[in-house]
Order: sequence, then C-alpha cells, then structure tokens
Amino acid sequence: MDFKKDFPIFGKRDLVYLDSAATAQKPQAVLDAITEYYTHFNSNIHRGPNFLSEEATVAYEDARRVTADFIHAENKHEIIFTRNTTESINLVARSLESQFQKGDEILLSKLEHHSNIVPWLQLSEKTGVNIKYIPIDSEGRLEFAEELINEKTRLVAITAMNNSLAVMPELEPIIKVAHSKNALVLVDVAQSIVHQEVDVQKLGVDFIVFSGHKIYGPTGIGVLWGRTELLEQMEPFLGGGSMINEVFEDHFTPAGLPEKFEAGTPNIAGAIGLKAALQYVLDIGYSKIHKYEKELTEYLLGKLTSMPYVEIIGPKDLKNRGSLVSFGIEGVHPHDIAEGLSQQNIVIRAGHHCNQVLMDHYGLPGTARISLALYNTEEDIDKAVKTLEETHKYFN
Amino acid sequence: MDIYAQNILDRYKEPHYKDKEFSAEITHKEANHSCGDVIETSITPKEAYGFSGQGCAISMASADMLGDLTEDMDENEILKIAKADVFEMLGIDISLRRSKCALLALLALQNGILEKRGEKLKTWTDYHI
Repeated sequence: MDFKKDFPIFGKRDLVYLDSAATAQKPQAVLDAITEYYTHFNSNIHRGPNFLSEEATVAYEDARRVTADFIHAENKHEIIFTRNTTESINLVARSLESQFQKGDEILLSKLEHHSNIVPWLQLSEKTGVNIKYIPIDSEGRLEFAEELINEKTRLVAITAMNNSLAVMPELEPIIKVAHSKNALVLVDVAQSIVHQEVDVQKLGVDFIVFSGHKIYGPTGIGVLWGRTELLEQMEPFLGGGSMINEVFEDHFTPAGLPEKFEAGTPNIAGAIGLKAALQYVLDIGYSKIHKYEKELTEYLLGKLTSMPYVEIIGPKDLKNRGSLVSFGIEGVHPHDIAEGLSQQNIVIRAGHHCNQVLMDHYGLPGTARISLALYNTEEDIDKAVKTLEETHKYFN
Repeated sequence: MDIYAQNILDRYKEPHYKDKEFSAEITHKEANHSCGDVIETSITPKEAYGFSGQGCAISMASADMLGDLTEDMDENEILKIAKADVFEMLGIDISLRRSKCALLALLALQNGILEKRGEKLKTWTDYHI
C-alpha cells in the first residue's frame, strides 16, 4: 500500500516521519482545499449579503456537516469549531464553571495529556472542586473501580488513547458507571480518531474533543461535540462578534448553537481543510487503516523487542493499543536518541510528551517515542531501527 | 555515526566534576521542564566546582566543562558568562532546540549566586531563547 504518494512533503525532501502523534502530515487533497478557498472564494462568513460570503459560508457550514457525520452526531449544530483539543476542553471547563460547587468531584485518569488536566485544575482553583485520578498498572492500563465514581462526581474526563504509551482504555464500563451516578463524560479522542472510528451515539458520551491536525487536517482547527441540551445550558465561552443575538449598552443576549461558542471570525480555511482530511480518511476507510497500522505496529514492536538494550515503556502487546511505542535505550538520554535519528532525517519525539503526571508515576524524565500513520512503511521502521542500533553503539 | 563532537561525548561519558562531594558555598538546582532534565551546581568560587543531575549528552558535557571555564572566576565574572561563551566552550554548533540543554548548568550556576545575593533570578528569556 502506498499512501506516501498522497503526501507531497515526502516528494520534497528526504524524510522519515515517525512523529504523527504530535502532528500528522497533510495529503494533497487538504492542501488543495485550502488553496481553493483562498484563491477562489476567500470571504468572511455569516455576514456579507453577497455571493462571495455566501460561497464561503456554505463551505464552512458544509465542513460542520461533514464533521458531524464523521462522528455520527445527530445534529450539525452540536459541532463547535475551536482551535484545537486544548481549546475544546477549556471551553467545556469554563462554560460549565457556574454549575460546579465546592466539594464536587471531577474524575480524570493518570493517562491524561496536560490539556485534559490543567483546565480542570484551573476550575478546581476557582470553584473548589476536587480532582481525582483513575490509577494505572505497570503497563499503563487503567485500574478502574466503580467506587471511584460516587454521588459527588460531576464529570469524568478521559482519553480514548494515551499519547505516550498508546494505551486505549476500555471506556464502556467507565461511561456506564458515570451515567448511573449522573456524572457527565468527556472523551478526548485527539490521539485515537486518526486510527479508530468515533461514534458518539454508540459511545453514549456527553462531550467529544479532538484536533484537526492529528487527523491529516490543518493546525488551528479543533472540534468540540456536545449534546444539544448541555450546550444550551452552558455559558458562552469567548465574547464578541458572531456569538451574540443582540447587543445593548449594558447587556447582550447570546446567539443560538453553534454560533454561541464561536466568537469572532473563525478559522474558515481550517474548517475547509479539515473537511478534506476527514473525506480522505473516509475514502480509505477505517478498517483498511486499522489493519495496515496494526501490521506496522506489530512489526515495530517485534524489532524493538529483539534489541536487548531497548526498554519498551507501556504495553508490549497489540491489545487495546494505538500505533505508537515509547521506549528508552540503556545509557542514552531520550533527547540524544532523537538527535541521532534527526541527523539521519528521521523524525521522532522525545520528552515527557505533555504527560508529566504519567512520567512521574514511572519515575522517568521522559521517553523516546515512535508514532506511526498510514504513510509509514516497514522500510521507515528499518531505517529508524538501524540508526537506533548505531546510536546505542556510539554511546556505549 | 557521529552525533556530537568527540569532546562532548568524552565529557558526557567521563565527566570530571560530576557528583563531586564537597561543602560548597553556593548550591542551586534548575530544571528544563520541556525535557525533564535537572542539574544542581555546587561552587565555592576559585576553589571547587561540582554538579549532579540527569540529562542529555549536551547538558551534561556543558555542566562539566563549566568547571574548567569558571576555575579562576569570582562571582561577578561567573555572572558575566554569556550564551555565546558557553557555545564557544562547547565548540559545536548548538541549534535552537538544544540551546536550553547547553545553558541549563549556567542557569543553575548564575541563579545560585543571584539567590545568595537576594537578587532577581534569571529565566530563559535572559539568554534570548
């Protein structure tokens, strides 16, 4: 399978890209959609009574419809375009603030990215809610127990795939218990959505958040999906143009959904690019993506496991995991691993991956991480492995 | 394969000043939160220097080589060490992404002195990175 040809960057330079969990490369279709908007119908949306604004508005709202269909949302007004996952989570935390009281509990897990910890810590500072964490075992699997959710629990915010260990927690039991106690559930699918289909109906959650750039779309466009009745109850996030119904000298009335949460001129080109990215994924199909990435991950795990000086951090099998692997090399700092690869035009990530709570759990300053996407090949992995062998030799 | 110059690798593998134990006049710890590296420097100016911590080859080599650079310096001279002096000391090209690695030990050393004097501590901005 040759998906590489769809991504122009690989034709422009000598590059082995193994850092898709940070951001994915962009297919030609996405670049074309953005260029088409800026060269043919660039205009502001939802205002000018003219044909150009009309065309831009139609394209922007069509992106919303495609996004809603992509995650099987019932209503397109439940899709709020944000900048990224981080902003989506902040929007929920800020807009729900007045509904929280001192002593309420929010349940997170130790697998959360900083973006799904810090907004809740900020909420805690303001309202006095208590933040609790679902613990993990030595492989990073969640140790969920029903008792973690009680009558005080107002919200559970959890990742569908951790970005440094690749763990994909079983969400169903958590969602079930949360709803039985009337707690809301937010699921962060930033890492998982590029590998696994998201169906908000089947999941039965209250909020879904993700970023466009991790699913082959542009940076600067993110998505919040929320159930209509919840979004309607929530306070507006940012104030300004578009999000209002009427403005007077001393008060305003907010617009309806989704404009209520989209103050100011949005990222029109970003939404149009995101639509092209989602269509690219749909055209290939999740089953093909999943099968191919699973094979690649198995190949990578096999190679790393056969190197005695490589320590894999997190699960070593293929069960409930995504296509990335964190590891360490005896006697070599993660940054030096990344530097060695970088000098051979191989891009990986090294560091704490915005997972300091998780790294503290393992007592690690950081890890090296190889993350795969559908444009990667066994040849990419071979090149990286060869350089890892040389790097180990160089330092030992 | 040659990731770094030989001098960096040598000082990383066989440091001269790492984990040296002595009763230091000034001890200070700094962390590079973007990668998790932590370095604690200990110094009695013109007498003894040591450091401890965990880090990549560049940060460890830089911490070690600062021992030679500051051997005859008093506090004021140490405070005058600039980013360019450290890069020159290392003798290799330091990219933007590795600048904090190269300067972490200097930050600890200079902030130790500033802390002792009750003056405002330096941040990365003071090194223009």
